[in-house]
Amino acid sequence: MQKYKPFLKALRKLLITIVLVVLIILSIRVTEPDLVKLVSSFPKAESIMGQLLSPVLFDRESEKITVSQMVPVPCDSVPSLVSADSGPRIILDPPCGSPKDVINLRGVELPPNAEISLRWILPDGGLLSIKNIMTDDKGEIDMPLEIRPITTATDGKAAQISFEVTLPNGKLVVAQTLKDVIDAMFVTIFMALIATTLGTIIAVPLSFLAASNITRRGALGTGVYYLVRAFLNIIRSYEPLVLATIFAMIVGFGSPFAGVIALSITTAASLGKMFSEAVESIDTGPIEAITATGANRIQVVMYAVVPQIIPDFLSFTIYHWDINVRISTIIGFVGGGGIGYLLSQRINTLQYSQAGTALLAIILVVWALDFLSSEIRKSLV
Amino acid sequence: MLKVEHLTKVYPGGTVALKDLSFEVSDGEFLVIIGLSGSGKSTLLRCINRLIDPTEGKVILDGIDVTASKGAELRHIRRKIGMIFQHFNLVKRSSVLTNVLNGRLGYLNPWTSTLGFFPADEKKRAMDALKRLSIDDKVDSRADALSGGQQQRVGIARTLMQEPTLILADEPVASLDPVLAHSIMQYLEQLNKEDKVTVICSLHYLDLIQRYATRVIGLKDGVKVFEGSPAEINREKFKEIYGEEAQDVRATALE
Repeated sequence: MQKYKPFLKALRKLLITIVLVVLIILSIRVTEPDLVKLVSSFPKAESIMGQLLSPVLFDRESEKITVSQMVPVPCDSVPSLVSADSGPRIILDPPCGSPKDVINLRGVELPPNAEISLRWILPDGGLLSIKNIMTDDKGEIDMPLEIRPITTATDGKAAQISFEVTLPNGKLVVAQTLKDVIDAMFVTIFMALIATTLGTIIAVPLSFLAASNITRRGALGTGVYYLVRAFLNIIRSYEPLVLATIFAMIVGFGSPFAGVIALSITTAASLGKMFSEAVESIDTGPIEAITATGANRIQVVMYAVVPQIIPDFLSFTIYHWDINVRISTIIGFVGGGGIGYLLSQRINTLQYSQAGTALLAIILVVWALDFLSSEIRKSLV
Repeated sequence: MLKVEHLTKVYPGGTVALKDLSFEVSDGEFLVIIGLSGSGKSTLLRCINRLIDPTEGKVILDGIDVTASKGAELRHIRRKIGMIFQHFNLVKRSSVLTNVLNGRLGYLNPWTSTLGFFPADEKKRAMDALKRLSIDDKVDSRADALSGGQQQRVGIARTLMQEPTLILADEPVASLDPVLAHSIMQYLEQLNKEDKVTVICSLHYLDLIQRYATRVIGLKDGVKVFEGSPAEINREKFKEIYGEEAQDVRATALE
């Protein structure tokens, strides 16, 4: 038998390798990875990624200048007004006309390279857009203008031709998208905070019941211990996403409350388990010593157990808040509200630059909280 | 006066830790219990203050049956029995002051003390105890910042808060070097002689036994194999109690 041992060992290794290879091949066939598609859809990916990576953060406050000039149609319908001779102005040649005439329109002393909306202001006050054009380097435009019958003067009032210039050099302001994202981010952070708090409040008593060294005494204690453990394990097997989907159906899609309920439950179960392990790993020496002084059970817990578990409990709780912020960013996708909900909306409406803003906010906040929570936890040890 | 009558302890696994053990301890004695690890010394000490419930037999302290008492009565008995441990059993993250005050919990209002309030006179009592053990300069330190000898002194200060009539010391110097061992034993001797506290102490070192004990009980596999004065313990007796493996123990013990 000894003689065959190396051979058997090699055979076992071979078998394990074969099984692994078969499993990998199977999983490739099941998941159907399409590398060709990954490459062929590169232009599409480039466009989406480009937008995602250029998040909307600031807008320029749009400053507008309006210049207008009266156009009597036909020429003698109303007395024509001489246009100003300096500043942004419109010069018409001839200064009036009949319907279907084509006259020359010049705009001078306008901002260079600015976008202009050119439109008619009709005698009855209605607006008629003509087109959008750009001024040249000198801030001028020069173009033919066809006089439309609808511009005919009525009741002694003539139509006007008008420029609306949007200046590109307005003040930088925080984009509305960024404001929305910050609001949603706060919703998410507070959602995680309240869920962690609620979860912790539920987890503390459960953890003592699920700690063998505290509860597992006598038939009743053992029963409670196994019951609470089983309960925690069952709840833990539900992902917060699944719970959030269910609660979103109950309390309303997109409501942060659904996310809060789902996260509270999973936090309670997960912290309950972690806390109970912290309680189980305490040093029993102090319990023995304080019991020996004649202290009652509550005093023993307060003075021998609590000081030992407080750092672990705090550390786990802060860590879980960190986790909850991360989960609650996704929970929005299934209707849990907060930043995830905003992100899913922007993606569904193809507003990738705005989705990019949300992504950027998520990255920054998760990074900051990760750093913060690890610093706090370090100081607790 | 403490009476131990036919004390037997069988653990759930079937291990017999004590077998029909009987002895008496008069007030003011310094009784030392010797025996190998696992001979039942710790179990015996813990049966006296009921940290462990004996299977059979009785422990009678000053006429009260400790083995039959429970609840508040048991806690009142425990108040008067101090206990000192090999590993000190301090709450490591708590301050020295809190650890000492813990010794007073049995006397305090359960409600206010649960919330962490200790009256000023109890704090003064704790300071006095720390002064007596010359460790009052460490009052605000965390317990785990102290050396072993310092921690054991805090353990004794905690016991002082109980104003005990009996002190159970479970290998109080086994985690300490020989110099510190003598210093700790001297504090126990001081309590024994000045405060008239009865001491029951388990020890391994022959020189400590002969220096501090007024009487010695030897245990082997939960049975009393020796009872007498420390002068009667010679190398042969020691070897008899500690068995054939005692060579190493004796070598260090006799140095």
